Amino acid sequence: MSVGLQNLKHIVVLMMENRSFDHMLGSLMQKYPKINGLTGNESNPDTNGTIVKVQQKAEFQSQLDPDPDHHFPGVDLQIFGTTEQAAGRLPNMQGFVKDYFSQTKDVNRSHNIMYYFDSQKDLPVLSTLATEYAVFNGWFSSIPGPTICNRAFAHYGTSFGQVGMDIFYILDNTIASIYERMIQAKRTAKIYYYDQPSSTMEIVNLLKNQPQIFATFDQFISDCSANTLPDYSFVEPCYNDHPGADGGQILASDQHPDHNVREGERFIGDVYNAIRKNPSLWQSTALLVVYDEHGGIYDHVVPPACTPDGYTASADATGTGAPFAFDRLGIRVPAILISPWIPRGTVVPGTESAGNAQIFEHASIPGTVTNFFLNGDAKRTVREQQAKSFLGLLTDQMRADDDCVVFNNLQ
Amino acid sequence: MAPKIVNVPKTDPRAYNPNRPAGTLLRSQALHMREALTKHAQELKALLDIDMASLKTEADVSAYVHRSTALLHRYAGKSAKK
Repeated sequence: MSVGLQNLKHIVVLMMENRSFDHMLGSLMQKYPKINGLTGNESNPDTNGTIVKVQQKAEFQSQLDPDPDHHFPGVDLQIFGTTEQAAGRLPNMQGFVKDYFSQTKDVNRSHNIMYYFDSQKDLPVLSTLATEYAVFNGWFSSIPGPTICNRAFAHYGTSFGQVGMDIFYILDNTIASIYERMIQAKRTAKIYYYDQPSSTMEIVNLLKNQPQIFATFDQFISDCSANTLPDYSFVEPCYNDHPGADGGQILASDQHPDHNVREGERFIGDVYNAIRKNPSLWQSTALLVVYDEHGGIYDHVVPPACTPDGYTASADATGTGAPFAFDRLGIRVPAILISPWIPRGTVVPGTESAGNAQIFEHASIPGTVTNFFLNGDAKRTVREQQAKSFLGLLTDQMRADDDCVVFNNLQ
Repeated sequence: MAPKIVNVPKTDPRAYNPNRPAGTLLRSQALHMREALTKHAQELKALLDIDMASLKTEADVSAYVHRSTALLHRYAGKSAKK
């Protein structure tokens, strides 16, 4: 076990909303060739058959309204380039523009789905974290579908067969959430939602263990400074624009289209700074920043096959006319692991590195937490048991304090 | 030496739009909340339906008070501290 792991006391996960890897970090490949981003030649056909290349023209807001489709049939089209469910069809990532046309009804506007950020200029927080710590070339959403089922994988290691946004019932009550597992084992765990008007997307646990599990973001900040952070923390951004308690304006910080991406940048910086500015917490915490799914936005990497989790979604549930056996991951998302025990510029290889690929998905989150804090002692799906742990990136060498960046949110 | 400081620009104040139509995710969140409330409502109704005259013993009252207190604490706005 590395010295970094021996010193580890806290794991914090911040899960953002609905942006693909290439959209947010793809431009970094120009300067950092190991990052599996964009060459600028990737393309999709539009509904007129015109070839549309990726373009570095993403803006913080207004380009992705209406919200791009990211429900199961839409993502199926994005991955396979066709709605036909022919046997032996191959994924080609050629259906993004076609699918966005179904929302926009405007050919030119459907091209917006191929836009990506100039990461270093537009996204100073995310791009700095990606290049200062460890970025994953191969972290995929767990399901080629929307938010709720994907977030379920982060909490339970499975979605219990769900591929959509329907009210989420636990079908197998022998699989406990990671929070319940921790509490039952006399460890501590908490979900920090932003505030009450924003609340949580992890609804099922509202019904039980509420005081033990939930707190607000203000409490997260207090817990970081007071050294009272739980063993495991899951942080949720603000999901909607709403008036503040003092009459001010609270902006959504989740980066879900069409919320302002820059506000999310500032929120990520706040979470990082809260840990970074407490020296003892900084040395003993691993922070994972990850997105729940791609939100319908273009990524060039074909999602790989994965270990089924024992459930099958029916053809009616998927909406494609074919069942889904949870044997393929969803589209790739940004994921960054942060700790002073991680060397600058670490790039975790993905599917581009055939013999050395390390594939992660959201079941890696409860899997890693369970392995580290509970010695793997919990009933889990096969999918979670086989999900790769991300803590192996912590080394024996801790970086000096002045070697680790700090963010300053301008007022 | 001091650590490198990265400045993060302020968000455009025009970004604030609480009148933006709620998307699928937020409408789904509200539905999930409603479902969660329904579970609480059923629990509350079960307590309100109990005939007070049926509480004969200290054990009867204790059981009623226990369930009521647990439910009331849930609505007492206690912050969820570690």
